[in-house]
Amino acid sequence: MTDTVQTPTRPAADAPTAPEQQLPTATPAAATPAAAGPASVTPAEDVAAVATAPRRRRVLLHGRGLFGLLLVGGILLLGLFAPLLTPYGPTEQIPGANLLPASGRHLFGTDEVNRDVLTRALYGIRVDVLVVFVAVPLGALLGTAAGTLAALIRPADVAVQRIFDVILAFPPIILAIGVTAILGAGITPIFVVVVAVEIPYFGRLLRSSILTLRELPFVEAAEAIGASRWWILRRHILPNSAEPLFVQLALSMSIAVFLESAMSFLGIGVRPPEPSLGTIIADAVSDLDTAPMQAVGPLLLVTGFVLGFQLIAQAVGARRRI
Amino acid sequence: MLRYLVRRVPSAVLVLFLASVLIFAIIRLIPGDPATSLAGSDASPEAVAAIRHDLGLDQSVPSQYLSWIGNVLTLDFGQSYSVGGEITSLVADGFGNTVILTLSALLLAILIAAVVGPIWATTRNHWLESAITVVNTISVALPTFVSGVLLVLLLTVIFPVLPSAGIPPDGMFARLDITAQYLVLPALCLALPVSAVLSRFLAETLRTELRQPYVLTATALGVPRRRLLLRYAMRNALPTTVTVIGLQAGSLLGGAVLVEAIFAWPGIGQLIEQAIGRRDYPVVQVLLLLSVFIFVVIQLLTDVVHALLDPRVRIGGAQ
Repeated sequence: MTDTVQTPTRPAADAPTAPEQQLPTATPAAATPAAAGPASVTPAEDVAAVATAPRRRRVLLHGRGLFGLLLVGGILLLGLFAPLLTPYGPTEQIPGANLLPASGRHLFGTDEVNRDVLTRALYGIRVDVLVVFVAVPLGALLGTAAGTLAALIRPADVAVQRIFDVILAFPPIILAIGVTAILGAGITPIFVVVVAVEIPYFGRLLRSSILTLRELPFVEAAEAIGASRWWILRRHILPNSAEPLFVQLALSMSIAVFLESAMSFLGIGVRPPEPSLGTIIADAVSDLDTAPMQAVGPLLLVTGFVLGFQLIAQAVGARRRI
Repeated sequence: MLRYLVRRVPSAVLVLFLASVLIFAIIRLIPGDPATSLAGSDASPEAVAAIRHDLGLDQSVPSQYLSWIGNVLTLDFGQSYSVGGEITSLVADGFGNTVILTLSALLLAILIAAVVGPIWATTRNHWLESAITVVNTISVALPTFVSGVLLVLLLTVIFPVLPSAGIPPDGMFARLDITAQYLVLPALCLALPVSAVLSRFLAETLRTELRQPYVLTATALGVPRRRLLLRYAMRNALPTTVTVIGLQAGSLLGGAVLVEAIFAWPGIGQLIEQAIGRRDYPVVQVLLLLSVFIFVVIQLLTDVVHALLDPRVRIGGAQ
């Protein structure tokens, strides 16, 4: 398989900080900049930096990249076109349809208060869309900014690093419980948790990316001919960090879907009667023996969503090391 | 080694201190006054003031923090609002169950990875490799509560061979075969993503090692392939793999919250979930601090073991 692995010599090279530099989930698909950086900045590839975008698109057009794209795209469309796909409303109670098993009329059956589970699942996707495309980019932006700050301003480095350490010391679900203690259950704590969890990932990624890149000859050359810091950041650092950032973004999106549904599953996320895939699954657990489709349908959607983003991350992450 | 510890321990302590301040602040930020809610709605101002004094809420914020952290450090966690008992004994009960669950899961995950990793790294069978890849990718992606519900559906509803939830009625150590029946589903569910990440990492590292020049030399000298893989490559793959095991062990605690909710396993995760539901904030506070403490200690241990296994790390640390 082609996912990033730090070569065993690397931890020695950057001594005791090496474990900290690995992404904390240790998801192997995550391109750690330490391993990925040097490969990306051969002179030829720097010259061809403009060509990065088309090639990335191509990697998503076959194999697992395409499969991931189809999964994510398909589920997104199901969520967006939910009103067209189902005659019922997400909280509509259908007379006489109590705990019906899966059938042609109700593909996932109906729940104990006569609602169509498929409809609720389709509308439940919408919360994830919000979290994935609003909260994750926001966390990525804040993290990237913090990482840049840490790499460029030495006094800020220690403070920012310790903040990352403290956030990372909370396992995400535990952090979610702490945040819910203050804010109460709902969509707001989900947003806060997803943003907070993403900040150190992106911050560390960009920080070590900058630290690696600025030692390289072409950055030195740019400095020598008098390029400004900002220009180097924009022209050299960010384009060369774009791909690990993209991989991390896709991974973070899969984590965000997981966090939203897990929080809702535990009852500290989306509040009923608003639909969320997590709450539907939690409700369905008690009726597993009579109406398994109520749980299995939403389970497939959550898994497809998480898997899709991970496949995209793997496909993009794998290409850069060929 | 001592110098390495001197460098590494203070940063762990600092993180713990900052986290404890944050957790203390969380409880202060919660809207509402605990004294008023404890006293009830029609209590006299004097009664509220008395409770306020009992809880130490009339002192300054730093001294409140100091007395709280002092109590926590001496394992006096205070009283639970909702259950009314000592939090210390509640936590002690749950902690044992969680340790049994997470350690079994970790052990299971390491076992799976130790078998799958080397096979995956060396197989020349295209079908086997594809099968491992697919199963592995799905295992990484499968959220804990999804695999949990699927396992319950498969092994307790469709094929009712295992108990679906709870712990052995006669205690954990009364009959180990019964304990195993109750333990296998939650442990498997918790172990699945960890084992997937570990096997992938191990396979990848072994593949990298097997491409190294020393392997070529050893092959030329006639070292058997099995010995090459299990003695030479494995030994070099171990330090980084230990780091990944440590990081994954830290993540087990978060997963345990979900697994305990699904399988009604009365551990720390279930306790914290119930405490949130009942707004029992002293319990939440203690459990948050406990999980951060465990996480930081596991990370520290991981780094220490890594340093022990890889002399380059501790020599680098001594410089």
